[in-house]
Amino acid sequence: MIFYSDKYSTRHHFKALSSDFKALLLLTIVFGLTGCGNNESNVSSGNKTGTLYWGNGTEPQSLDPQIATGVPEHHIISALMEGLVLKDRKTLEPRPGVAESWDITKNGTVYTFKLRDSARWSNGDKHIAQDYVWSWWRALQPALGNLYAYMLFPIKNAQQYYEGDITDFSEVGVKAIDDQTLQVTLNYPTPYFLQLLDHYSLFPVHQATIEKFGTADQRGTRWTYEGNLVSNGPFQLVDWKINRRIVVQSNPYYWDANNVSLKEIVFIPIENIVTEERMFRAGQLHVTSSLPADKISTYREANDPELRVAPYLGTYYYRLNVRKPQFQDPRVRRALAMSVDRQRLVDNITRGGQIPAYAMTPPGTMGYYPKSDLKFDPKGARRLLAEAGYPNGEGFPATEILYNTNEGHRKIAVALQEMWKKNLNVDIRLLNQEWKVYLNSESAGEYEISRAGWIGDYVDPNNFLDLFLCGGGNNRTGWCNEEYDRLILDVAPSKSSHKERLEVFQQAETMLLNEMPIIPIYTYTTVQLVDSSVKNFDANIMNAASYKDIYLQVNQE
Amino acid sequence: MADAIEGHGSSLWKDAWIKLSKNRLALFGLAVLIMLILTSLLTPLIAPYGYETQNLDMGATAPSLLHWLGTDIFGRDMLTRIMYGGRVSLMVGFIATAVALVIGILWGAIAGFFGGRLDAVMMRIVDVLYALPFMIFIILLMVVFGRNILLLFLAIGAVEWLTMARIVRSQVMALRNQEFVEAANSLGLSQWTIIRRHIIPNTLGPVIVYTTLTIPSVMLLEAFLSFLGLGIQPPESSWGLLINYGVETMEEFPWLLIFPGIALSLTLFALNFLGDGLRDALDPRTSKD
Repeated sequence: MIFYSDKYSTRHHFKALSSDFKALLLLTIVFGLTGCGNNESNVSSGNKTGTLYWGNGTEPQSLDPQIATGVPEHHIISALMEGLVLKDRKTLEPRPGVAESWDITKNGTVYTFKLRDSARWSNGDKHIAQDYVWSWWRALQPALGNLYAYMLFPIKNAQQYYEGDITDFSEVGVKAIDDQTLQVTLNYPTPYFLQLLDHYSLFPVHQATIEKFGTADQRGTRWTYEGNLVSNGPFQLVDWKINRRIVVQSNPYYWDANNVSLKEIVFIPIENIVTEERMFRAGQLHVTSSLPADKISTYREANDPELRVAPYLGTYYYRLNVRKPQFQDPRVRRALAMSVDRQRLVDNITRGGQIPAYAMTPPGTMGYYPKSDLKFDPKGARRLLAEAGYPNGEGFPATEILYNTNEGHRKIAVALQEMWKKNLNVDIRLLNQEWKVYLNSESAGEYEISRAGWIGDYVDPNNFLDLFLCGGGNNRTGWCNEEYDRLILDVAPSKSSHKERLEVFQQAETMLLNEMPIIPIYTYTTVQLVDSSVKNFDANIMNAASYKDIYLQVNQE
Repeated sequence: MADAIEGHGSSLWKDAWIKLSKNRLALFGLAVLIMLILTSLLTPLIAPYGYETQNLDMGATAPSLLHWLGTDIFGRDMLTRIMYGGRVSLMVGFIATAVALVIGILWGAIAGFFGGRLDAVMMRIVDVLYALPFMIFIILLMVVFGRNILLLFLAIGAVEWLTMARIVRSQVMALRNQEFVEAANSLGLSQWTIIRRHIIPNTLGPVIVYTTLTIPSVMLLEAFLSFLGLGIQPPESSWGLLINYGVETMEEFPWLLIFPGIALSLTLFALNFLGDGLRDALDPRTSKD
């Protein structure tokens, strides 16, 4: 997914005046609703009753897994629903979910899932393989406007069906052999397919409920409302007050209900992150969705154990248009990349705890930690630039950094402009354009340097490295290397072991970094506050919480 | 009146200066403006730092002895940035307004004085240009001619003259039937001389007031265009842009907003005082003593 804005730009500090008032209001609301004692905070009462108070950013747009797209929705939906496969809460490796086991054919294209006999919907209905066939059929209805329909495209004929080339859904590669057995046929081996199954666009939905409140491809029907929503996950929806809270309680029909420790989760939408931080300090939240950038250093200096900074599956980078004469020489591209002082940039400008990136793929993507010999080396950069024919930046052609109009992007561009001026003595101008114009210019190749960001859709280096295939839709640099394409398209999928696959990716990554059609700048991070009583909530690169594993326990001191 | 006709016009300016020099506020305004313009001209020589020299490790710091007005988040000296910003802002303000003044006064005076079909045609042209969304007009100009700071001045001026033309025209229409114009006519003065010598000086009051209003709005317009990527680009800056950025961080680093704000307001005050004084001084209808 293309990232429009910088998650941690400093735009958040505007409404501090009204936020005092809002905080007060929210506190009263929270106090009033939970009915706890006057002096007892949510956190301490929640720790006794097993209620987790979760700061959830904004009000969700929808709880329909085939319509929702955002992070706040993701949190709630992953508490309510479950796919065939779960992710390990630490390593994110696939674990059995609704499917207790699965077989993959040798050629890697046919998956046969064995569903649990004990799988039930939250109203007690039996949860069967046919539910998936119907849900995925619904996910592929163009009228539904599912932005994540492409997540299903690895499935055979799914794309053709979605685009109307095929009208008969039985030709799509998903079949319920019996109530307990689901067979999925893919177009080609897709090693990350199991991961996709834990994405909410592939979650099952309850057919009878949806049809009770409208047709299958109708948006915004009442089926997701409290009292209506029937789900298959560890929790069920019991209360939804818009802009106030969403409450979910443990689902007694869940197949693993005995191992779910939390009784209740209260999702509180707080858009103002300054307010959210205050509520956390007042003991009204167990977990916040983020933290204002200027507070991070304060928490860091205090060595606060409640602060959590974890890498996130996204990379902020600059594209270099290799079709422009000055960037045809890889030495020039490398020189630019080597003269960016990433550490200073993230410490002083972005200030969101971001991690300097020296490779395209974020570290820790499915156990993949890219090696890179890229480092901040202004001297070496100057030498490379001189070798390429621009000693001391002399004669360097007019070059512009293109970015979409946004305060965060502007700051980074201004800082880089000066770094390149200082370290390489090249004059680079800035050019900002409105989002759509910017996308146009980028796709048309009408730029020299442009800023970019990529957030992974699934945890696999493939998701980052296949961006730069020849002529790829998100490549846009004009860079094309047949050997690279061969590694990503042919060699990597042919490797059977995970380790061998990662080695191929490392090879491709090294190739990419030597040629340097892009300049990696930083890895996105999730910054949040987590109360010490929240256990089994591990930081991971997807910022995905496994609510069924979380329990609350006050540390004995 | 008799003096004005006899005295070759120069007496008007002489009188005006005498009247102006008695107006303390106006003189203060004039002094401030001259100071600002001088500072702007000399900035490359007297600025304490480079306007693009960053010090990321230092970041935003409050005013201190080293940096009198503090530094911005890139560690750039604010005093320097305001001085350089003033060059752009004052230049935009004066040049764009001058362009608007020249076109507007001539257009309005000609249309108003001759009236009839010529007036109708000229004012319809103004109406058409008015109806054109001015952003699109400026964007078109910039797209066709490229991003160039001089062009930015012209583009803004080319948009701002419309109101000026209307004001002048209405003034002229009121004036052209007055006795002193008839007298000038009967004395055989050419129409151009009448416009130049008698009509335009009589319209100066509202024109000056409107000019003092145009200069600040032009400065803000420049900031807006620059923000959209059509005006000047970082690391260069202007007061409007500095204020724009200052607003973003006004809670954390208030000095980034306050000082450019002071610079802009000071200019506007000075312009207003001077404009008021000039209006009084230049109005030929006020008595000489």
